[in-house]
Amino acid sequence: MSGFTISRRKLLAGSAMLLASAAMPISGWTQTPKKGGRLVLAADSEPRNLNPAIVASNGVFFISSKIVETLAEASYEGKDGLAPRLALSWEGAADGLSVTFKLRVGVKWHDGQPFTSADVAFSALQIWKPLQNLGRTVFKDLAAVETPDSLTAVFKFAKPTPFQLIRNALPALSSVVPKHIYEIGKIEDNPANNAPIGTGPFKFGEYKPGQYYRLTKNNDYWGKDEPYLDEIIYQVLPDRTSAASALEAEEIQLAAFSAVPLADLDRISKVPGLKVISKGYEGLTYQLVVEINHRRKELADLKVRQAIAHAIDKDFVVKTVFLGYAATATGPVPKNDPQFYTADVPNYAFDVAKANALLDEAGYKKGPDGKRFTLRLLPAPYFNETKQFGDYLRQALAAIGIDAQLVNNDSAAHIKAVYTDHAFDLAVGPPVFRGDPAISTTILVQSGIPSGVPFSNQGGYKNDALDALIAKASETLDSAARTDLYKEFQKQVAADLPLINVAEWSFISVARETVGNIANNPRWAVSNWADTYLES
Amino acid sequence: MSPLRRFLRTPEALAGTLLLAALIAMALSASLIFPGDPQAIAGPPLLPPFHDWSLPLGTDRLGRNVLAELFHGARASLAVGLAAAAAALAIGSFVGTLAGFAGGLVDEVLMRITDAFQTVPSFLLALAFVSVVGPSLGVVVAAIALGTWTGPARVARAEVLSIRERDFVAGARVIGMHPLEIAFREVLPNALPPVLAMSSVIVAAAILTEAALSFLGLGDPNRVTWGGMIAEGRAVLRTAPFLSIVPGIALMLTVLGVYLAGEGIVETTATRRGLS
Repeated sequence: MSGFTISRRKLLAGSAMLLASAAMPISGWTQTPKKGGRLVLAADSEPRNLNPAIVASNGVFFISSKIVETLAEASYEGKDGLAPRLALSWEGAADGLSVTFKLRVGVKWHDGQPFTSADVAFSALQIWKPLQNLGRTVFKDLAAVETPDSLTAVFKFAKPTPFQLIRNALPALSSVVPKHIYEIGKIEDNPANNAPIGTGPFKFGEYKPGQYYRLTKNNDYWGKDEPYLDEIIYQVLPDRTSAASALEAEEIQLAAFSAVPLADLDRISKVPGLKVISKGYEGLTYQLVVEINHRRKELADLKVRQAIAHAIDKDFVVKTVFLGYAATATGPVPKNDPQFYTADVPNYAFDVAKANALLDEAGYKKGPDGKRFTLRLLPAPYFNETKQFGDYLRQALAAIGIDAQLVNNDSAAHIKAVYTDHAFDLAVGPPVFRGDPAISTTILVQSGIPSGVPFSNQGGYKNDALDALIAKASETLDSAARTDLYKEFQKQVAADLPLINVAEWSFISVARETVGNIANNPRWAVSNWADTYLES
Repeated sequence: MSPLRRFLRTPEALAGTLLLAALIAMALSASLIFPGDPQAIAGPPLLPPFHDWSLPLGTDRLGRNVLAELFHGARASLAVGLAAAAAALAIGSFVGTLAGFAGGLVDEVLMRITDAFQTVPSFLLALAFVSVVGPSLGVVVAAIALGTWTGPARVARAEVLSIRERDFVAGARVIGMHPLEIAFREVLPNALPPVLAMSSVIVAAAILTEAALSFLGLGDPNRVTWGGMIAEGRAVLRTAPFLSIVPGIALMLTVLGVYLAGEGIVETTATRRGLS
């Protein structure tokens, strides 16, 4: 390994290493993994509820995906981009009314009980469908789960449901929790939500608030020789600047989810013993979106929305806000999606003169002070980048005579202001694309969503043609036809601009070179890490 | 020797005055030297200082001119500092005078309220106030005044207690002036000098509090503030430390200037009182 490391370091210094590591075939990394060791990594948030079956979000997955497993995981080389986990195979019926899962043999829960199809049925019907943030939409027509034997689960749908959607939803939405633990008492109050019990390669050890989470090895794990690590420690480091120093001081061996600020990556990539990896997050693409409140009469005018789209220099945003670690967006599906993306949509080139002309045409002339009208702009506070883009957007709008007044809120106040009170004109949001537009993307533009649902269309936008298209796609069973409908969906969204997609980004991991098998699937940071190992 | 000359003789006072004068000049000339929006993108991002003479202090992460931001930030700091101190002094001397002059139950109630405010750390109070009401310049001023009016109130009350026993107050009573008129037209002006002596400390504390609030993202996001600049620079502290250091130095010099000048004034008035 040492000879390989040195030659690689010499060859691929600095940012070139990033590109190379993304292009390098998986086999290039394969070698005999070592057993044992403790992996210490940075965690920047401390989710209260660790049950991934209820809260399907990356913050929860980051920790609990090692404990609670899903039916299938995303994969670079597997069929349909999936690799088996608790399910070995899945098959959809031609009429779209049922999906049959064959489950893995010999899997045990961490408390020794056997894992059976009853656990899958319970999780699907009692948790994913009624309680899970994403499952509520995807599994809304799930009527029953039949269990002909202990290793077969048949999902029965009341209405035809595209198998493609169910398949794409498996990695994020199908965390299976034990029935014998959750059938007692109220699911939301179950103590296992804070100390999860699963089938995964690691067991929940302990949680010290403000300090760490500790996961320990599951000796009865179904994977042969896995897991390799003895322990995983999530060191709570809420301050983003401290993760880089902790890596350099060898206090932690891994900082995932861009815990190291983008501005520090160039410097840290030159530190011997550390590697910067931009792979392993393809399944977790975040989209930088300008959310628009169509209740404002100026913004209800398509010309004004087009003008705003023309006023944003997407290349500048990618280069300065994201320091190149992002891609410009063309529409509501990110470019890196292998199934649905189409580039054949209306484009809005950066053109201030054209933007000004469009606003003049719309009848909003510049006043004597050079301003046309004033808007409230609410950048989401979750990421440095969304806040910075807010600062940029204010300047971009000033250039076309729109006076944007920034309103800063904390997370809770921002969600309330935008998604419940609608007290915004423009907002900057980071929705996540989860491998299928029906999971969390169409909801951003669809009408008729009650107020208070976060990360949904709360801008009062209503377009019957688009609603009809979304409805049709949701019941189209043929994958090719369904994909075509979503291509049409991208065109219509880009043409009518219910929101403006600016950029797409994902995360960066920084790790010590001793950490092996990093980034070997598209959702690596939130996968089970059974094959992750440490060289001594 | 005239008070002004005596004032300028003390080296601290002179240094303080010079610093303050420079700050005020910066604040006043901001719009003349850097017209337009100081937050406009002016050049390539993260340009280090002293590389391009049209952008002497370089640019921040979005390519905004750091020097322009520094000048406009002086305005925010000074405006908030002065407004908050003025508000704190006004509230404080009003409450103190009322309590001291009325005595009895009114005094008790007002002083217990003052105690209550004093037991809450003033920064915490400002933090809570701004997060509830929402950040804007006026709210920040009010939040800072809310935590700092208690000092002036106590000093004013103590002064009023001694003044209200003087002959001219008794005289005013005899000629039938309304008690409130006596309190605010006769007593308050005489009680003011020691209260005003606190102003420099309050201004300095207000400037620091404003910077701290902005640093935590609770300043007015539509204005450049030094605290906000330091916070912005913090994300790139290792690669572009100047983004935090430059406004940090400006902040330190300002507070130092205000404090030194205030000390000078107190010293001058003290010697004058001593001489007379």
